[in-house]
Amino acid sequence: MSLDLKKIPAESFERVHIDSSHAERISKPSLSFWQDAWLRIRKNKAAIASIFILAFIIIMAFVGPMVSPHDAETQTITHANLPPKVPGLEKLGIFDGVGTLAGKEVDLYEMKKVDTYYWFGTDGLGRDMFSRAWEGTQISLLIAFVAALIDMVIGVAYGGISGYYGGRVDDMMQRVVEILYGIPTLVIVILMLLFMEPGVTAIIIAITLTGWIGMSRIVRGQVLKFKNQEFVLASRTLGASNGRIISKHILPNILGVIIINTMFTIPTAIFFEAFLSFIGLGLQAPDASLGTLINDGYKVIRFQPHILLYPSIILSLLMIAFNLLGDGLRDALDPKMKD
Amino acid sequence: MTKYIIRRIVYMFITLFLIATATFFLMKALPGSPISSASKLPPSQLAVVEAKYGLDQPIPVQYAKYMLNLAKGDLGNSFQFKNASVTELIMNRLGVSVLIGSQGLILGVALGILLGMIAALRQNTIWDYGSTLIAIIGISIPSFVFATLLQYWLAVEWSIFPVGLWKDGWMSSILPSIALAMGPLATASRFIRTEMIEVLSSDYITLAKSKGANGFEIAFKHAFRNALIPLITVLGPLAAGLLTGSLVIEQIFAIPGIGEQFVKAIMSNDFSIIMGTTLFFSVFLIVIIFVVDVLYGIIDPRIRLSGGSK
Amino acid sequence: MKNSKLAWLISLLLFVALFLAACGGDKEESTDTTTDTEDTDATTEEVATDEEQVLNLIMNAEIPTMDSALVTDAVGFDLLNNVNEGLYRLNQDNVAEPAISDGEPTISEDGLVYTFTIRDANWSDGSPVTANDFEFAWKRAMNPDTASEYGPYMMDGVIKNATEIMEGSMEYTELGVKALDEKTLEVTLEKPTPYFLSLMSFGTFLPQKEEFVTAQGANYAKNSEAVLYNGPFTLANWDGTGLSWQLLKNEEYWDKDTVKLTEINYDVVKEPGTGVNLYSEGQKDKAPLTGEFAMQYAADPDLIHESETSVFYFKYNQERLGEKTPLANVNIREAISKAFNKQDLVDVVLANGSVPANYLIPKDFTFDTDGNDFRDVNGDMAEFNADEAKAAFEKGLSDLGVSELQIELLNGDTESAKKTGEYLKNQLETNLPGLTVKLKEVPFNVRLDLDTNQDYDMQIAGWGPDYQDPYTFMNLWLTGGGNNKMSFSNADYDKLVSSSVNELALDPEARWQALADAEKLLIEEEYGIGPIYQRGLMHLQKPYVKGIVAHPFGGDYSYKWAYIEGKN
Repeated sequence: MSLDLKKIPAESFERVHIDSSHAERISKPSLSFWQDAWLRIRKNKAAIASIFILAFIIIMAFVGPMVSPHDAETQTITHANLPPKVPGLEKLGIFDGVGTLAGKEVDLYEMKKVDTYYWFGTDGLGRDMFSRAWEGTQISLLIAFVAALIDMVIGVAYGGISGYYGGRVDDMMQRVVEILYGIPTLVIVILMLLFMEPGVTAIIIAITLTGWIGMSRIVRGQVLKFKNQEFVLASRTLGASNGRIISKHILPNILGVIIINTMFTIPTAIFFEAFLSFIGLGLQAPDASLGTLINDGYKVIRFQPHILLYPSIILSLLMIAFNLLGDGLRDALDPKMKD
Repeated sequence: MTKYIIRRIVYMFITLFLIATATFFLMKALPGSPISSASKLPPSQLAVVEAKYGLDQPIPVQYAKYMLNLAKGDLGNSFQFKNASVTELIMNRLGVSVLIGSQGLILGVALGILLGMIAALRQNTIWDYGSTLIAIIGISIPSFVFATLLQYWLAVEWSIFPVGLWKDGWMSSILPSIALAMGPLATASRFIRTEMIEVLSSDYITLAKSKGANGFEIAFKHAFRNALIPLITVLGPLAAGLLTGSLVIEQIFAIPGIGEQFVKAIMSNDFSIIMGTTLFFSVFLIVIIFVVDVLYGIIDPRIRLSGGSK
Repeated sequence: MKNSKLAWLISLLLFVALFLAACGGDKEESTDTTTDTEDTDATTEEVATDEEQVLNLIMNAEIPTMDSALVTDAVGFDLLNNVNEGLYRLNQDNVAEPAISDGEPTISEDGLVYTFTIRDANWSDGSPVTANDFEFAWKRAMNPDTASEYGPYMMDGVIKNATEIMEGSMEYTELGVKALDEKTLEVTLEKPTPYFLSLMSFGTFLPQKEEFVTAQGANYAKNSEAVLYNGPFTLANWDGTGLSWQLLKNEEYWDKDTVKLTEINYDVVKEPGTGVNLYSEGQKDKAPLTGEFAMQYAADPDLIHESETSVFYFKYNQERLGEKTPLANVNIREAISKAFNKQDLVDVVLANGSVPANYLIPKDFTFDTDGNDFRDVNGDMAEFNADEAKAAFEKGLSDLGVSELQIELLNGDTESAKKTGEYLKNQLETNLPGLTVKLKEVPFNVRLDLDTNQDYDMQIAGWGPDYQDPYTFMNLWLTGGGNNKMSFSNADYDKLVSSSVNELALDPEARWQALADAEKLLIEEEYGIGPIYQRGLMHLQKPYVKGIVAHPFGGDYSYKWAYIEGKN
């Protein structure tokens, strides 16, 4: 079937004007960088779930010790090493306070004449593991967040400047890094811990002292990779300032790597703290972190698995959530993935 | 290139010198004496013992002596082991650490790359989440817990591998290597995943696809090679981390490596072992960083080695 | 296409696995360091009759040295006790009895000169042990060039001229020990020393063969080949720093018919859990247990308990960096000494067989001539009593004119030390309202440093005896003593304790009473220290292992009388 164009009245046609002033108009609604990221991260179910898990853990870290009927510090020595017992669930045959003692299954609550409930059990000094686990989470999160933040700020600034300016500046800065890098972290940390009053601050300082170096090297590598690429050269040719090139062109491109790396700094920091407890330089008692709790627990893994189990679950959930969120953010923040 | 390498080597020596100096003075500033029964001895006898180890001299003199000996390759004598030189001690212990460290690193990185590639090629599918999960388990269980579990299940319950000790040749190294591999596995897989996704979305991959290249060709020929570059930058720290990190593993499996010796030296203020081992680790690290930088330049032609630029 | 990608990945995985397996093959061949031990194992198994006399043990640390002049640590003393033999040896009842000394020595009337006859005994190279070997070894330990730590520490004030040599006013060759001939050794003492013969079983007083030591030079005791042995066993396959070694029966030992074990295999295992795993696998015959493990193995027939002679106590520092601390007040000291439940501590927190200490001189350690324990004299002192503690604390606070007090508690950083610290902090704060305890956990060396400088308020310290006499504990708190380091000073205490080694040295009964009075004064009147517990040890030991003797001081164990029975 063919159309006879001549039969259509001429009035039906309208002249289209090509307005050159609109050539640059963007038809999509204008979204800021973060709005755009949020739009995309919303589609990532894993990332959203992670946000909820993180929120839950952070809230519990503060609320947990308050809702527990037992205080984290109180030692009820007669209640030592009790397995978990939860009202309601005990009737199902789980969390019923039955544990092994000398190879036999016994109801330890009955044996020790305890008529209260410890939801996560108790440790070797009869302290409530529920309160201790959440208070430990608080301290671990504090150490991890502060350390990761400091690492990120120092690492990005240092690596960025070094990579971007290159030449002699880069060379000098890399020599400094190499010197710091060449001293095994462990030595620095132990020296620091021997010099300083032991505690959370000392551990944070010790972790960040060399922790930022990894970030700075990665950032430098990325900056080196991008600074000579066409779009940066184009921007420079057009007279963009260094500040503009860094913030508008380089930074968005390396944000993914920075975030992923930060997401890894958090578990690294928590782990390093646990490692310090393993060699006996961790937090000072009676402070506890997830690391010290796990360190206490792994030794009795065969007999009182609950002491290791709950802090490990919290730790693993934190790690999984941080990682999936990190991935989600990375996908969302990558400017090349705009649709 | 040759000029660049020579210059880097000169820098490496300067770096080492600075590290030796810094560690020396830090050690001297720490509290505690390396003489184990110092508190039992009357001052006159303590002075005799200190004189034997040269601890009675002023610190600048001790420093000068130490550096001179170092230049001759002499790391001094241990305080803990009364008859052993630090060089001997490190040599006796090094082999085991290097063996489990390199096996752990190779295993971890190889599996990590594999997992990372699966995750990237199957982004946001069950494969992706599965490999993410394995990587996360790798980093969310502290190595000492993981090692304890491995030992309990694979050695005590199922008797597949030895519980510990260094008596069954290569079999003894398997569990420690697996325990050590978890860290590198996690790091490598995350990096590869990130990089591959980025590379897979770049223009030249689209071009390759449109030219009809098959999945394998894209994944390996184009994406993989480019994704490897940032991984190289973390290999150095990973390898160094294995050496120090192995202390935990070596202690749990009761194997004679350098890591467990190191922490014991720190705890007993054995200056000479701490200094010797620190310097040893430093040389190792500096060399790796150097190699990585050179490799980085070779693999990624876009990066000019800074020595060559004008 | 998707499948092909997967197939590729799987093949890559297989390739990696193969590659690793191939690498492994190479390494298996190159790891030959342990074949020696394996071979010996194999041969003994072949010739094994039903009772193979091989013992497999765990050690918690390396051997720092096998030179008896330089040894300072438990592992070294333990091994020396089994591979060498001095004039005396601790027997199965922990009484020092003549060993290389042929019968009891003759003692001069003033108790100053001991003359020993050396029995016919050989070194592991077949040469005879002579009196000169003792003279040489002891003088070598006093030689400033050797820079021995334990030599001067053990001989100071005991062997004639040791103090002067240490101060540099005499040559080391003038030490009061002399080989009259090949078989006769004369030892001159500074003053009568009641515990001198028990000292003769201690590692520092072992003989060394001059010819051999001189020939080896700087190489002496560097590895198991560079030492001579005159004890029940010889050391083998020790490279000087390694984590494993062996003891083999010494065929040259004079009493070799008593020794039944042919071989003891040692491995250093620092992680208690690994030790237990090796034990349950059957690779080891004995494994030490920490508290958590001991609790779980409580009903296990293999569990054995060994009491130790180390006592742990609060050291109350009365003067910190030149300034008086609240602990200079006796009421505060009394309050703290009585304010914690020791029974709960040993039962629940430590759970390793330790017992509460309401004393300083440990139980089952020293006995009078009738075999009665020194402990029977004073009994328990400064027992836990929350009410008395509280009353004393209130009195102390009003003396000081304050309503609350913060005290720093210096502590070690080992697992059990930390747990103990946390428990004690809680106990003290609960039972003494108004008291805040601040824990400070530091590595051992740092603690020693703080102790030496008296830069602490209060610390948990421990002491193990160096010889079998209460004086090894009591001399710690003499005014200005090298180990006092807490400004404790009491003229009556000084008088009682020093009388025990001077005017009362030859009067055992009066001496015993003087030491007991001094202990009472220290603990129950002055509350100079606050005893906490006497350490115990739990082990798993296979039922077929018999006759291991645990010692209260010096070397921890003797295997001379040990044997295997009923293994198969």
